[in-house]
Amino acid sequence: MRQELIRTLLLTTLAGCVALLAALVFSATVGWLVFCAGLMLQMLAHFRNFALLDRWSRAPEVDIALEGRGAWDGVFGRLYRHEKDLRALVERRNRRIDMLLAAIQALNDGVVLLDRNDQIVFCNATSEALLGLRARTDIGQSVANIVRQPEFVAYLTARDLSRPLILRSERNPGQVLSIQLISYADQRTLVQIKDVTQTDRLDRMRRDFVANVSHELRTPLTVLSGFLETLREIELTPDERQHYLALMSEQSGRMLSVVQDLLTLSSIEAAPPPEDGLIDMARILDKLRRDAESLSAGRHRIVVDADDACDLLGGEHELVSALSNLVSNAIRYTPAGGTVTIRWHANAQGGVFAVEDTGIGIEAQHIPRLTERFYRVDRGRSREAGGTGLGLAIVKHSLNRHQALLDISSTPGVGSCFAARFPGARVVTH
Amino acid sequence: MEDILHHQSSQFDEELGRLRSDVLRMGGLVENQVATAIEAYGACDPRAIEETIARDQDINALEKQIDDESAQLIARRQPTAVDLRLVFGIIKIVTDLERIGDEAKKIAKGVRRICAAGSQPTQFAPAILHLAETVLVMVRESLDAFARLDSGLAQKVIVDDNGVDAEFKSIVRQLITHMTEEPNTISMVMDVIWIARSVERIGDHAKNVGEHVIFIVEGQDVRHRRLSSNGGAV
Repeated sequence: MRQELIRTLLLTTLAGCVALLAALVFSATVGWLVFCAGLMLQMLAHFRNFALLDRWSRAPEVDIALEGRGAWDGVFGRLYRHEKDLRALVERRNRRIDMLLAAIQALNDGVVLLDRNDQIVFCNATSEALLGLRARTDIGQSVANIVRQPEFVAYLTARDLSRPLILRSERNPGQVLSIQLISYADQRTLVQIKDVTQTDRLDRMRRDFVANVSHELRTPLTVLSGFLETLREIELTPDERQHYLALMSEQSGRMLSVVQDLLTLSSIEAAPPPEDGLIDMARILDKLRRDAESLSAGRHRIVVDADDACDLLGGEHELVSALSNLVSNAIRYTPAGGTVTIRWHANAQGGVFAVEDTGIGIEAQHIPRLTERFYRVDRGRSREAGGTGLGLAIVKHSLNRHQALLDISSTPGVGSCFAARFPGARVVTH
Repeated sequence: MEDILHHQSSQFDEELGRLRSDVLRMGGLVENQVATAIEAYGACDPRAIEETIARDQDINALEKQIDDESAQLIARRQPTAVDLRLVFGIIKIVTDLERIGDEAKKIAKGVRRICAAGSQPTQFAPAILHLAETVLVMVRESLDAFARLDSGLAQKVIVDDNGVDAEFKSIVRQLITHMTEEPNTISMVMDVIWIARSVERIGDHAKNVGEHVIFIVEGQDVRHRRLSSNGGAV
């Protein structure tokens, strides 16, 4: 700065000196003219720099360096560097913001950012899917304009941050969402959306399970205690006594089998998978057929359709009881005169063990829930047939432990097919 | 569309925004009411029936409130062009939404009559529920179209209504066949026909909302277009 001042003064003094010289040589007027011309030249130089700055400031360009002349050089240089640093800073900040937004985008939870008027500032892809938002059109829109379900609007207006809202989505029927409002940065709101459909289902299953176990055990227990009271209070003939005792042992047997199945299920769940052994399928199929025939007592036609070329790898006890469960179910639910077909076909890609019946069939809405514990299509019929309601749950678990899937297809009134699909790794070809 | 969403005058803008939000809040109630009515039909659930009927009062109150707000806005602000179209459109949309609410109430009352008589409407459930779900999606999409001022989506709702009309006719034919075969079920089946009719009417109102959205966005009145293009033939 000081330097510039000295420089200006020097130039002015130089002009003054030249002017003085001219005044001495020529006249005072010429001297003044020369002085003015000197100042004018200085001003022109300044104006050139000014024009340069003016042009640059209209469209600051950092690719071409801004260079001034004389006194302006330093100023231009600093200005240019400032602009360049600023741009780099903005660039860095933008990259950081983009990265943060990308992180929010990558979240599994839905996130919507709202301003003070509940207008959408940002929403990630998950929230778009869960709430039916569309970032492209809905930014700036009030969130309640799109998510119009009255429960949500009430929750948003009430601003109760202490608890999440459990919302059964109308947009995607069957989906359950947990929505939590979080207040941040000066009255702004973050809406966090989680898909809790699975958790909700598990909760319901757990509740149902406890209720079901209690119910399953209470029914025979009520019968037992009723009979016990009768035996104690009333004089009975030996025949009646025998009859009641028989009924009691039947009920206690039922309780025992429920408890037995529950224990089996929990041991399958808890214990490590059984050691793999080679299961001779020809022998097993023969055993299954004989068991089926004895259970059917001649009321059904039993057909075995199998190629003997392949055997299975797995825990024999566990797998065979699962397969035999499928066969006995088929016999139980097929009216007399029907046919039960046991199939076993396998190759290097995998094996399918299937039991087909010509029984009563199962309506489509029950099929996905058949393997839930104690789920019954028809309570009365299942008990009559001596089921505990746990058979298929055990089958499914046993199969899953062998990486096999249980496939159920059925047409009411025509028949059902229960198929266990084993992966290729479990099949051994002779 | 940009113009409608992003105004200059902020106070006026806020008032219009509030009005839009009120319409959509009313729309949310109506959507929910229709969904509940369908649920009531599917399950003969008395709670859902009563909820649907009770909801109608809130909807009527909101209709009056929005009408008042719109009248006030026109009187005080004297909107022009797009804004005037928006307010006009809102007044019409609100009428259609209120009618949808009435039809949902009729469905619930019909279900109540059937269930009170000890019958199960579930026998015809799949066909009617399918129709009802299509219609529910139409109501939702018409409101989405209004929220986003999306005339393309509004157009889709209008087209979808043709399918609903065709489906309704086939349901009625089916029900008439049923009545001729089993005359003792006539009173129940009549109620089912009324319910189907209400569902079909809801579709018509959703279509109207779609037409109003197109009017707001494009300034074109597309009502009765098919009629006029056919030279006045019905």
